[in-house]
Amino acid sequence: MSRSSLSSSLNEIRTAGKYQRSRLRMGILFSLPAIFILLAVLAYPIISSFILSFQDVRLAAGGIVTEFIGLENYAKIFQDAAFRNAFNNSIYFTVIEVVAVTILSLGLALILNHPLGRPAIYRVVLLIPWALAPVANAVLWKWIYNANYGVLNAIVVGLGLSETPIVWLGSPFLALNMILIADVWKAIPFITLLLLAGLQNIPRRLYKAALMDGATSWQQFMHVTLPGLRTTLIISIVLQSIWALKVFDLVFVLTKGGPADGTVLLNFLSWRVTFNYLNIGYGAAIANVLFLLMFLLALAYIRALRPRSSSNK
Amino acid sequence: MSRKFRKPISRRDFLKLGAAGAGSLAASNFVMWLSGCTSGTGGEATTLNVLTPAAPDPAPPGVADFSMDAFAKWQADNNATVVYESPPWPQLHDKMATNFASGQYVHDCMYNCGWVPEFAEQLIPFVDDLPKELIDDLPASSFSTVTWDGKRLGVIFTLSLLTLFYNTEHLAEAGISEPPKTWDELLGFAKEMTHDGKFGWVLNYGAPEGIGGVTSYWMVFLQQAGGTMWGSDGMAAFNNSAGVDGLQFMIDLMPYTDPGSISYVGINDATNVFTAGHATMMMNWPFMWVPAQDPETSKIVGKVDTSVLPAGPAGTASIDGTDAYTIGKSSPEPELTTKLIEFYLDKEVQKRQVIDTGWLPIRLSVLNDPEVQAAASNAAAVLEQAEAPYDSFVTPDYNEVTDTMGREIQKALQGTQTAAETMAISEQLVNDIVSKRLG
Repeated sequence: MSRSSLSSSLNEIRTAGKYQRSRLRMGILFSLPAIFILLAVLAYPIISSFILSFQDVRLAAGGIVTEFIGLENYAKIFQDAAFRNAFNNSIYFTVIEVVAVTILSLGLALILNHPLGRPAIYRVVLLIPWALAPVANAVLWKWIYNANYGVLNAIVVGLGLSETPIVWLGSPFLALNMILIADVWKAIPFITLLLLAGLQNIPRRLYKAALMDGATSWQQFMHVTLPGLRTTLIISIVLQSIWALKVFDLVFVLTKGGPADGTVLLNFLSWRVTFNYLNIGYGAAIANVLFLLMFLLALAYIRALRPRSSSNK
Repeated sequence: MSRKFRKPISRRDFLKLGAAGAGSLAASNFVMWLSGCTSGTGGEATTLNVLTPAAPDPAPPGVADFSMDAFAKWQADNNATVVYESPPWPQLHDKMATNFASGQYVHDCMYNCGWVPEFAEQLIPFVDDLPKELIDDLPASSFSTVTWDGKRLGVIFTLSLLTLFYNTEHLAEAGISEPPKTWDELLGFAKEMTHDGKFGWVLNYGAPEGIGGVTSYWMVFLQQAGGTMWGSDGMAAFNNSAGVDGLQFMIDLMPYTDPGSISYVGINDATNVFTAGHATMMMNWPFMWVPAQDPETSKIVGKVDTSVLPAGPAGTASIDGTDAYTIGKSSPEPELTTKLIEFYLDKEVQKRQVIDTGWLPIRLSVLNDPEVQAAASNAAAVLEQAEAPYDSFVTPDYNEVTDTMGREIQKALQGTQTAAETMAISEQLVNDIVSKRLG
């Protein structure tokens, strides 16, 4: 390479470098407001919550008084029967909900993906439960489950399945499952649409090839549809797990955690300890356990969303 | 469209626009801040911020629709503007706790309901500044739930005691002309009324905590059995025959209680069953008298009456709704806020309160007013109930105590543990909570 061409190349690199640095500076500048807002509304509360969880926080004249107590709040979690009960309820609720929502949504997505299920009206109807405000949804189910006037009892008694009305929210385990049903109903539309989008991304030629190879419908489902939906299914499961762990409104409106703490989930327990008992430090510790669970799920979500090419590197 | 509107907006223009917007926002905030600084110092009206529940829960003029002219006149006379924040009742406790925790001034006056001991350090004792004539017109016992450490921190504005609501038609059909007067009669009547999908008794046992939660209902029976919640040392004093008998009576009533009661989390849920004619008797608050007589909300109009609660071994007793007004320590205008509370307790305002909203007054002279008695025929029963003991046993940890104990009571009502076991377990749990506070 001649001296002049080397100099010219160096100039080009310098110009390109200058341009890139300028782009980077502008990029940072334009991102700063968003970063600032994220720090203010996300990072600050999360950090504050962690700090609170290491303190004994009491309401006193002029605000709150705090005392650093180390890991005492976290140690208390392991001895607290109410926490164990809420943790078990939350795990049961999340596992059953994720399984139920995924299976039912997959079934609905398959129906909607069929030529007979294509008219837009079906998708509009499907979206109604998802579009309802959470508290409105909870109030709706409160009336459906009402032991005296609820439409569910009208159906059950009308069909002769039970002679007397059933108190759907009257015993701990039954009440938890009835809340579960209400939440499944609300969760299905979004996951269905997600899976439907996934189904529509599976190349038709794969089905044609499978058909030519003599695959039955079941074999096509197992060996073409499910593998094709793998990423979408993982995303659905992770998202639904996060949402199931966060459930609060249904418990608050339908049962207030009762009867006998049978429907207390972690989120509700955290609220109760913080605002009802004003034990702010311990409430923060419970919230942080929930945060940790959701953070792990969020990591799984990010991993599932990572482009396959980069994940294969 | 003119040319200048078609000109594309450059990044620089966009930044200028943003800066201009932020500048005007800051300027407007500065102007508002300045106006806040000057309020009350010159001709500007002083702003009083008041936290109350939304109607139909007990709310003052301006939130509920009564005494509006008098309210406007009070504001004009006192050069004051009253600004209300009125969330639904269930949000009040959390909102107040958050406000107090912030350490900032948010409200001058706030509604309280059994939380006065809990928030005692944030409230000022203003009752002694009210006119003597007004204090003398209030039942002395009404101050028990708003007094903590010897300081009167609030004033009750509505006489709200649980009394017995009953369906006269149901009783008449069974040849019964009088409401039950004793536990035995209540149990017998409830048994007789339970048939064909109807029940003798209904109540909301679904929520454990607070006034109107299952623990507070047990407190009624506890007092009727001659018991009390707290000993002189501040520790639990209910694990005895009175505590057990009170709970056992609730358990004995369960076969004749609407089974949905264990799932009803609010008084409205239970009242709906009663006003639909599906249950014959219930304990209820005075304000439910109006909806029970409203054809739009009730199927038992003209068939409902009230009386004092049936007597247990120690006589009749009840609990207090404890609806009170208090003043925050951070209020910059405590004197004017005291005057506002005085206005809320004015005789004419109290009279309109019951006539227009159904919430009984607390002033004895107004309660005995013939016009009030004619408008609220349940007032006599509530006044009679007020002559018997009524204590809601509020403490700074009332929510935690009632929540913890309520879960055990629910187990007893569902038959998974006995009344005696429940009292023993509850005593231990409650003492643990109280010990934390007492150190």
